[in-house]
Amino acid sequence: MAAIEVKNVSLTYRVLKNRTGSLKELFRDFLHRKVRVQNYVALKDVSFTVNSGEVIAIIGKNGAGKSTLLKILAQVLPPTTGKAKVTGSIAPMIELGAGFHPELTGAENVLFYSTLMGRDMKRTKSRTAAIGEWAGVTDHMDFPLRTYSSGMLARLAFATATDENADVLLIDEVLSVGDANFQLKSKVRMQELINKGAAVVLVSHDMNAVRTLASKAIWLENGVVKMSGSVNKVVAAYEKQ
Amino acid sequence: MKHLQLIRLLVGRELALRYKRSVIGIGWTLLNPMLTSFVLWVVFSFVFAGKLPDGQQYAPYLMAGIVLNSFFNQGLMISAESIASNAGVLTKIYVPPQIFPISVALAGLVNFFIGLIPLAIVVYISGQSLALTFPLVIIVGFFLALLVAGLGLSLSLLFIRFDDTKNIVGVTLLILTYLTPIFYPISVLNERMQNIVKLNPLTSYLDCFRWAFSNNSTATINDWLYMGATGILAILFGTYMFKKFWPRTVAML
Repeated sequence: MAAIEVKNVSLTYRVLKNRTGSLKELFRDFLHRKVRVQNYVALKDVSFTVNSGEVIAIIGKNGAGKSTLLKILAQVLPPTTGKAKVTGSIAPMIELGAGFHPELTGAENVLFYSTLMGRDMKRTKSRTAAIGEWAGVTDHMDFPLRTYSSGMLARLAFATATDENADVLLIDEVLSVGDANFQLKSKVRMQELINKGAAVVLVSHDMNAVRTLASKAIWLENGVVKMSGSVNKVVAAYEKQ
Repeated sequence: MKHLQLIRLLVGRELALRYKRSVIGIGWTLLNPMLTSFVLWVVFSFVFAGKLPDGQQYAPYLMAGIVLNSFFNQGLMISAESIASNAGVLTKIYVPPQIFPISVALAGLVNFFIGLIPLAIVVYISGQSLALTFPLVIIVGFFLALLVAGLGLSLSLLFIRFDDTKNIVGVTLLILTYLTPIFYPISVLNERMQNIVKLNPLTSYLDCFRWAFSNNSTATINDWLYMGATGILAILFGTYMFKKFWPRTVAML
């Protein structure tokens, strides 16, 4: 079953030609009739599908449109034309700890982060202790997040994001969290989620991670799909150029 | 509606953070309007206290103005900034972005209701008592929350796009503050200025508020209508503009 269906997706930004960030300047330019709008194409005619239990990697240089595509899949960014249909619950792991607040405690942040992802508050409350334990920060759950080390923060975020089974996982370079021990633990957790039937879209520059995790790959260049197919074939071609 | 949980959490967070930042916590919300009013009272009571109609008291008049004005000013600024300051979340996790400015307006409303406690104290100290119409204050608060959320929604788009919007809004709010009869009675102005001040919707909000709370002003039916119309218009305009321009704006975050 296709969990993700992307059909002819294009995204065009409209930007002002002289890129003014000031209302006063815009007004001045307007009076001098110098306002010009330019179109910037971030993605052009991208199509692919991801089935449940399948891992697909998106590779390409910086600025190729990988993160933009991930944002479209997360339903955060509406495509200009085309359709990006995602079936089921999404666990967006685009940036771990997006929504964490330094002044709130670990437990409060877990609750807030989970609710942002659309999970039930009551259920999260009953899971908070287990999440803290899995992340190895049980003793710190009642302290504000600003007292956490960056490793603790990332672990807590990963534990929260993966606590519930999701139908679709969107991952942007987040597999290298914490020390070696935790990395192993998080890989096992990811594999569990995949085995339970999650469709995974992975954006990474780490070709070894891509080869071991993904079965298919899409190579983006300047917003266009340059190549897609089995992971070995695409990665080999990407590394050759 | 599953977003209700998130709104509740956001309102709670907004309030909690406001109190956590100050040493005396929630006491600050109670104390702040009293202190501000006291300072202004010392300065202006000689000039304006005698100009109020018979039966009206200057201290609660002034403080009602400050409580309402800080709801509007602070609420509008924070709600207009809320989209930009939560950009990290909004570009990674799907939540209806409108939730953020609306939650700020609701937190402001809660804060406004808390501010009624010290206001009531000042009302009694100055020898007045709460009017029977006191529950109508909830309606004033509700429409002001609509006004704040609506303007906040539309301004938040500009805040993302143009860096100097914040300064422009700041200056506009300052002008608007002086065009609201907060510390002066409207009768001290000449006719032309009176007409300008009456055009300011906040004048109607404030008159309704003072009248309903302790009968410390006169509010006509027109004030109530003007208040309702501007509140509803603001929220309709805000949600419409937001819906229309958000897809283009989010790409810039």
